[in-house]
Amino acid sequence: MEIDPLPNGSGSVGTTIPEAAATTTAATAALKTTPSSKLSQLTESLKLEHQLLRVPFEHYKKTIRANHRAVEKEVSSVISSVADVADCNEPSKEDAVLNLTSLVSRLQGLKRKLEEGSRTENLQAQRCRARLDHLESVDAENLSEWNNVRLKRILVDYMLRMSYYDTAMKLAESSNIQDLVDIDVFQEAKKVIDALRNQEVGPALAWCVDNKSRLKKSKSKFEFQLRLQEFIELVRAENHMRAILYARRHLAPWGATHLKELQRVMATLAFRSNTGCAKYKVLFEPKQWDFLVDQFKQEFCRLYGMTLEPLLNIYLQAGLSALKTPYCYEDDCTKEDPLSQDSFRKLALPLPYSKQHHSKLVCYITKELMDTENPPQVLPNGYVYSTKALKEMAEKNNGTITCPRTGLVCNYSELVKAYIS
Amino acid sequence: MELNTIKDAFDRVAKRQKLFSSKSQEVVDQVGHEIEQALAKIQASNDPLSPIDLKSILTELKLKLNTMDPLHQLEGLQKERNINLSKYPKLLEKSFNPDISKAYRNVDFDFHIVNQILASHFYRQGLFDLGDCLINEAGEPEAIAIRSHFLEMYQILEALKVKNLEPALNWITANREKLKQNGSTLELKLHRLQFLEIIQKGTKGDALSYARTYLSPFASLHMNEFQKLVVCIIWVGKLDSCPHAELMAPAHWEEFTVELTQHFCSLVGQSSPSPLSVAIAAGIEGLPTLLKLANVMAAKKQEWLAIKQLPVPVELGKEFQFHSIFVCPVSRDQCSEENPPMLMPCLHVLCKQSIMKLSKSSSRIFKCPYCPTEASAAQCRQLYF
Ligand SMILES: [Zn+2]
Ligand SMILES: [Zn+2]
Repeated sequence: MEIDPLPNGSGSVGTTIPEAAATTTAATAALKTTPSSKLSQLTESLKLEHQLLRVPFEHYKKTIRANHRAVEKEVSSVISSVADVADCNEPSKEDAVLNLTSLVSRLQGLKRKLEEGSRTENLQAQRCRARLDHLESVDAENLSEWNNVRLKRILVDYMLRMSYYDTAMKLAESSNIQDLVDIDVFQEAKKVIDALRNQEVGPALAWCVDNKSRLKKSKSKFEFQLRLQEFIELVRAENHMRAILYARRHLAPWGATHLKELQRVMATLAFRSNTGCAKYKVLFEPKQWDFLVDQFKQEFCRLYGMTLEPLLNIYLQAGLSALKTPYCYEDDCTKEDPLSQDSFRKLALPLPYSKQHHSKLVCYITKELMDTENPPQVLPNGYVYSTKALKEMAEKNNGTITCPRTGLVCNYSELVKAYIS
Repeated sequence: MELNTIKDAFDRVAKRQKLFSSKSQEVVDQVGHEIEQALAKIQASNDPLSPIDLKSILTELKLKLNTMDPLHQLEGLQKERNINLSKYPKLLEKSFNPDISKAYRNVDFDFHIVNQILASHFYRQGLFDLGDCLINEAGEPEAIAIRSHFLEMYQILEALKVKNLEPALNWITANREKLKQNGSTLELKLHRLQFLEIIQKGTKGDALSYARTYLSPFASLHMNEFQKLVVCIIWVGKLDSCPHAELMAPAHWEEFTVELTQHFCSLVGQSSPSPLSVAIAAGIEGLPTLLKLANVMAAKKQEWLAIKQLPVPVELGKEFQFHSIFVCPVSRDQCSEENPPMLMPCLHVLCKQSIMKLSKSSSRIFKCPYCPTEASAAQCRQLYF
């Protein structure tokens, strides 16, 4: 990538992170040359930001629902308590006073809870708004800074999904982007995941209860899977009577929809956990718990309107596919190409190659695109370089050209222009 | 995309919810108020309160609460709010791409490699504690080799920020030969910066002796530059009137920083921008096209996962063009080692296979498809881009 000198006045960039300066200049240069295409590209890329707006909204909605449920539950319970007191045949004054006083304090408690809940709602609404404002704030002037923030958002998303919470928080705090990432949403997931890793289903089951209607809507069988695992643990502990009771209570309701799986798991009652039978052995393996963690993550992401894969993986795959050419895996692949590095090459292996309908020729010397303004010229040995590079070389060396790849020396007058259509 | 419409829609949701929330609190207050009133009546009445009076107060309260029907009061607002709550996500789905993973290949994306890339990226940006934190938290067994290089680089850059050129000079001296091969003039630029600092802050004598020791070795190769610098000594103390005052602009320090970073990265085998930034930026540019493509392929029941090459080009900006790709204008094939580009005598370029076809396997003279010139296969020569 060709780096232009810093434009005067943009002093803040470059001093802290030189790379930022480099990308700024490249980005602004690109922007100046083709503003319309860059801006339409920007619009296209903004459309990829569904998750950024959806997740805080789902979070907001969740708080709203919880607050609403609290009102409904408490108020109707208070009213029916009043009815109970009123319907009492021989009310005593003391009892009535005691009962009513406790109802009043219950309502006061509810009021406090609602005030607190409404504060949370407002904060979450502000967050939704902040993200809209963030999307709107991008323009030609702050594009590179905005892109930097986007990269950081993508990285935080990856780290949260991978449960690297400390690093995620550090990055979010140091870049001051807490409002643009979903750390608090993932805190909720962390509790469940940590418990599952400790082979406890309690928090996961509680989570299922909390989100019952939505899980049902998406036909999730996560709760069933949790129940199966609990059942397996009872069988492992040879607690057969309890296992049967458990199955009757918690597994039977799923029989109508998931009979096959139910039967398979019930059959383990006839085996011990050290069974050699492959079909049942696998059910007792500890990796079943990892499977539950993965399953939970998927359900969780779906519920919040997130992609199931980390954003980083999605963008990396797209980028590597778009960049991947057969030349990338050759030794002379330029360092500026991410695919010159082993790590990126490995990630790109299963991805398709990019495709070109038109020739794109990059000058070996200047790394600039050769086009009609800077056409390719051919040396007598068939090696091609840009006019700009060759002219400069000739001017410095009295018209002599030295091929940087073969060492061939020739005169500038021996070059011919190639016509690439 | 109309962000304003979305903002308005959201503001409506938030407004409705605020209304609902304050109405909820109001309702709770009302209920509490009625109970408190009944309570006060009971307590205010003279002892002994007849059971009938007590009963009537309680029944009255019950009836009041029943006619008040607090939850029913909320229903209207709740309905309106719920409509807004369910409308908004639909608007988001319509305005944005609700699933950007449609073009994702479900392959095992080795997260160890991804973590290493991320840590290198943080080190590359001088965020060493973040990189270390990630490596720790992810439990990556392998340390990142590049860390020590970048640590050295940032020590140099930190010193530059306070105009301390010594670490930079040490590094440049240690890598003088390699830098020379890369055509770098970093060393001259460094001495120029130091010299101009002396000009601004020191005496004429200091400046002169610095020029003698450090600038004179560059005198023959960079004559103009050298003269321009030395002449500045005349204006020590009244630099405002120096014709070369431009040389003292702070921007030169920034330029030097950028250039040094580039050369440093290049010498340790790294690109100057973070490869992760480049790959992600390419992904953001390319993904919209890939998503459209995945949709079209899904509609045609074609297997996205099976393709070895994308069926359509994903246009990226020229900052992402790292390789010369020659596409034969006749066959539309991308050239390769087996099928290289060939230059015809008329200076038009086709791929070898096309030339073989046109010349019936080199057996006859053929006309260029783009001009009237005739050529034989033997007259065509291979090009190397
Ligand atoms: Zn490459
Ligand atoms: Zn021709």
